[in-house]
Amino acid sequence: MSGRDAGQGLLLLSLALGFAMTVMPLPGVIEPMRPYWVALIIIYWNLEAGRMRHLGQAFVIGLLLDLFTGALLGQHALGLVILVFLLERFRARIRFFPPWQQAAAILALLANDRIIHSWVIALQGTGWPSWTWWLAPLLTVIVWPFLFLLLDLLRRHQRLGRS
Amino acid sequence: MGGRMARLMFYILAAMVLMTLDFRGDYLDRFRALSGYLVEPAFIAIEAPFKFAGRAYDNWRDRHELLAERDQLRQSLQESRARILLLEDLARDNRELRGLLGAAERVDTGLQAVELRRIDLDPYSHRVVVNRGVRDGLDSGQPVIDASGVFGQVDQTLLHSATVILITDPDHALPVRVERTALRTIAYGSGRTDELRLTDLPMNVDLERGDLLITSGLGGRFPSGLPVAEIVSVRRPEGEAFATALARPLAGLEGARHLLVLMRADGLIEDADDHPDHSEHEIEPVVELPQIEPQEESES
Repeated sequence: MSGRDAGQGLLLLSLALGFAMTVMPLPGVIEPMRPYWVALIIIYWNLEAGRMRHLGQAFVIGLLLDLFTGALLGQHALGLVILVFLLERFRARIRFFPPWQQAAAILALLANDRIIHSWVIALQGTGWPSWTWWLAPLLTVIVWPFLFLLLDLLRRHQRLGRS
Repeated sequence: MGGRMARLMFYILAAMVLMTLDFRGDYLDRFRALSGYLVEPAFIAIEAPFKFAGRAYDNWRDRHELLAERDQLRQSLQESRARILLLEDLARDNRELRGLLGAAERVDTGLQAVELRRIDLDPYSHRVVVNRGVRDGLDSGQPVIDASGVFGQVDQTLLHSATVILITDPDHALPVRVERTALRTIAYGSGRTDELRLTDLPMNVDLERGDLLITSGLGGRFPSGLPVAEIVSVRRPEGEAFATALARPLAGLEGARHLLVLMRADGLIEDADDHPDHSEHEIEPVVELPQIEPQEESES
């Protein structure tokens, strides 16, 4: 039971860091391409540890993200709920993909998420985002292997440390 | 599977209802205001390492670089001082003229220097976070300017921070006046940080590229005479009833770090209302020289 608690701590910590990295200052040029950290962290925990599998969790985290970034309330929630739904749908397959194919699947999920966001932004009459904004999923997939390895390492370390 | 689908539909619907409520009205304002008290400490915590890094960088910076910067600043300070001397003279003239015309006296506005928190909000929310809040006397609706022009107005206030809505937010409308022709109109945000829109202009409008837009003071939120934007292009589409124009904001909406909030702007409302229309054509209003409140926390 305590193993699950410890994993919980790491899960919450990684999510908190993901939130921090979502609003941390970046130079203006790469700002629109900011990796979607929170989505990536949710995907990791879902695929590798079988956590974060409920749509409700995605919804609540999305709402928090909206409050945090000052976006329209519900925008990130909508994106994350759909992302987790699709992820669950293909989870069995994606888990056993070779790494590059897994990355491609994640890229597809994130691109789909961007389309949802662009749709919400367009409906608000704010005008279309700049073209660099569409590069964000690409950058997110580039950081994916590093995040994956880091979180895997931390989790293994934690398990070994206890036994 | 069916249950999952139903749950998905439920959450999608909930998100859409929330977005609509948030977009349409002020139903969620209270909720946002409350959540602000949760978000604010997080912002301060996230900002801390970057602030620290900035300070460390300042310490480490080359002495020559700093000296050069100091000389440059000293020079610009001197220029500004000289300009203020001229302005003081103009302000005196202006007061006398106003006295002659029986126009309302301008109110002195205090300034509060604020600094942007090192937090990037969603780039499409057209808001920034500054490091002063209710405790420092900030209130929703106060005008915010930077060294070159109007920046926006205070939107939501927290204890020690506040969000500022940019003039380029699509919801933002700013009463302006063309400096050259004294034509009054409204500048709408376009959703892009380098563009304001003027719509509903008469077809025969006398407006050219390079014309300066200043605040008109109507509406009572902003004092009149602050520089806002420069006209970039005027379009007179064939078959339409109105001409439109695009303008580029003068304030550094992208790169600004230090801003000024105009306090006690409420007194301006009477000023704007009492103001007879024709008097604006005859005198160029000059912004009364404000007292800058010293900022106790300096970052250099």
